[in-house]
Amino acid sequence: MPVEELPIKRRVVFVVGSGRSGTSTMAGTLRTLGMHVPQPEVDADETNPKGFGEPQWVVDFHDELLKRVNVQVSDSRPSAWYEAGKLANFEPLRGRLHEWLDGQFAEAPELVVKDPRLAWFIGLWRSAALRCDATPSYVTMLRPVTEVVGSKQRYYAAKFGEVQRTAAWINMMLHTERATRGSTRAFVRYGDMLQDWTVPVFGIGQAFDLAAVQTAQANDIRAVHGFIDPGLRRVQLTWDDIEVPAKLREIAEESWQHLNALADPDGDQPAVHDILDQLRAAYSTLYDEAEAIAQSTALASYRDGLAQLPEPTNAVVKRGADRVPHSMRAMVPPSARRGLRKALGRARSEGA
Amino acid sequence: MPTRGADIPCVEGESDFDVRWPWNHGGLVPGLTCVFRVKNEARNLPWVLPPMFDAVQHVVLVDNQSDDGTPDVAARVAAECGATDRFTGTTYPWRVSRAGAEHLATAPDSVHSLTHFYNWSFSHVRTAYSMKWDGDMVLTPEGVGVLRDLAWQLEDSGSVVAIPRHPVSVVSESEAWIDLGFRFLEPWIYPMGPDFTFVKAFEWEVREFPTTSERIVAPEGLCVELKWVDADEFAHWTSVDDFANSRVPRKRREWEVYRALAEGKGHEVEGLHHVVAPAGVHVVDHVINTWLPQAERPLVRRPGRVDV
Repeated sequence: MPVEELPIKRRVVFVVGSGRSGTSTMAGTLRTLGMHVPQPEVDADETNPKGFGEPQWVVDFHDELLKRVNVQVSDSRPSAWYEAGKLANFEPLRGRLHEWLDGQFAEAPELVVKDPRLAWFIGLWRSAALRCDATPSYVTMLRPVTEVVGSKQRYYAAKFGEVQRTAAWINMMLHTERATRGSTRAFVRYGDMLQDWTVPVFGIGQAFDLAAVQTAQANDIRAVHGFIDPGLRRVQLTWDDIEVPAKLREIAEESWQHLNALADPDGDQPAVHDILDQLRAAYSTLYDEAEAIAQSTALASYRDGLAQLPEPTNAVVKRGADRVPHSMRAMVPPSARRGLRKALGRARSEGA
Repeated sequence: MPTRGADIPCVEGESDFDVRWPWNHGGLVPGLTCVFRVKNEARNLPWVLPPMFDAVQHVVLVDNQSDDGTPDVAARVAAECGATDRFTGTTYPWRVSRAGAEHLATAPDSVHSLTHFYNWSFSHVRTAYSMKWDGDMVLTPEGVGVLRDLAWQLEDSGSVVAIPRHPVSVVSESEAWIDLGFRFLEPWIYPMGPDFTFVKAFEWEVREFPTTSERIVAPEGLCVELKWVDADEFAHWTSVDDFANSRVPRKRREWEVYRALAEGKGHEVEGLHHVVAPAGVHVVDHVINTWLPQAERPLVRRPGRVDV
């Protein structure tokens, strides 16, 4: 009697972490070994000549969600996680993502989904995977913060300075670690991938029970060797090359050191998590201080933005309440009115 | 009128049962604590506690006059989950007034009051957020994921979170009825602090929160509430007539479903679904791990109100 082949269980590997950290290398490796990257993908360009390994639908979906909550891909605000996380409570979004992911499993049982924006929406993706009866797992790519910041400065528009990029790296990496804690996950150093990719990828195949990796044939292995180009690590910088405030540098360096420890064998331990929690708290405090110092700049930008709105929108914004009849305004409870005025920066003084 | 957020001595003078709020005696650390106040939940806790230990940083379980070994079961399950260091088990020995008329007649700072019982129970929390949870409510895998995320995302937000639940009447190991005909939705998750304590309402207690708190409503399918058809689930009610229909329609719905199942008329109740588990799988596991995740959304197609 012939032995029946067991069906391959549904798996989805999410490749997360800061952009320019080797996420494309990891996604491309898993794809080359036989995992399915949902199609079509974002086209390769000079910043990533081997391709991004990013499904276009996923990028568009994340862009839409980020706009909806006013969060940018490299957002350095700790509060941005709360704003993005709230979207996971909207059933229509959960349903939409589930439907799309289910369609991808019709193509193949083992998927790899990568996008630098994905970490903001891990809750939504986890829900979709569970509804597809698929096991989700997460690979976080690690690269020294100085190299990530340097690489972004080189390849992306110089819209944000090194300080903001360093802050955004801390925010992304510490919260991505928090979001995936307790899940099936692995941390992989970009340098280890370039030096000898077989070690971390074999480990992922075992830990995540990936048939594509466990049953990879010689041709697949050769193809990965052809895909990974150590020359891609073109930016190698140290703190000597980057100017950031001392406190930010200290948190960034400590975060890197302890995240780096997670990639060691049996390195993903509660003692490290505790330190990373302390660093998250320290970063939030530093951010709050910086935000308070820069409040005048933020308010000036807000006023500039209002002034640039075309008439009559501009006028309406100046006195939006005038558009609502007085009888309607009177229905708003005084406490709510006070709250609205306060939120709009128009709180009245006592007795006014 | 007592000062908001101040400690609350009980009128009986039992100092061990005065409420001593953590913000007045030390501080709070980040994270989410789940608080159970339970009586005779030994049957349910092996379903309820393991996913909860997966979801939150700490569990406080306050036993109130159980005679079915509830505290021992809770401690054993915590140990089996490797969570003994994240579990606080304690006892509240006083008889607590039943919801309804009896509650109304009890002073809020009496050890016999639901209000004092809640405040005393929550005074054991040491994290920035806390969650009221019943001893018969079981998280689904999606529910575990949502709570895990909220445990770190909420932090300083001041938001409160309402979580829908779906009553499941268990007939046998392989058969159950799930009620998707009514929207059972309550705020369960709150920050800890002087603005978020319990006060007395007509039928039971309510937890206060400022009008400025943002309220998040979690999606459906995160938790079920177990009701065993062979047990008298309504024993703790003084009388169904104590509950005004305008204020507690959910109680009326529970009563309607209970009566229909008792009379073998479950199929006649709109929104009540019959679930049969495959051989070898307990129906509770089947509902949580398979039936609910795969059920068509929205699960509940009727509007409902939020009980605050």
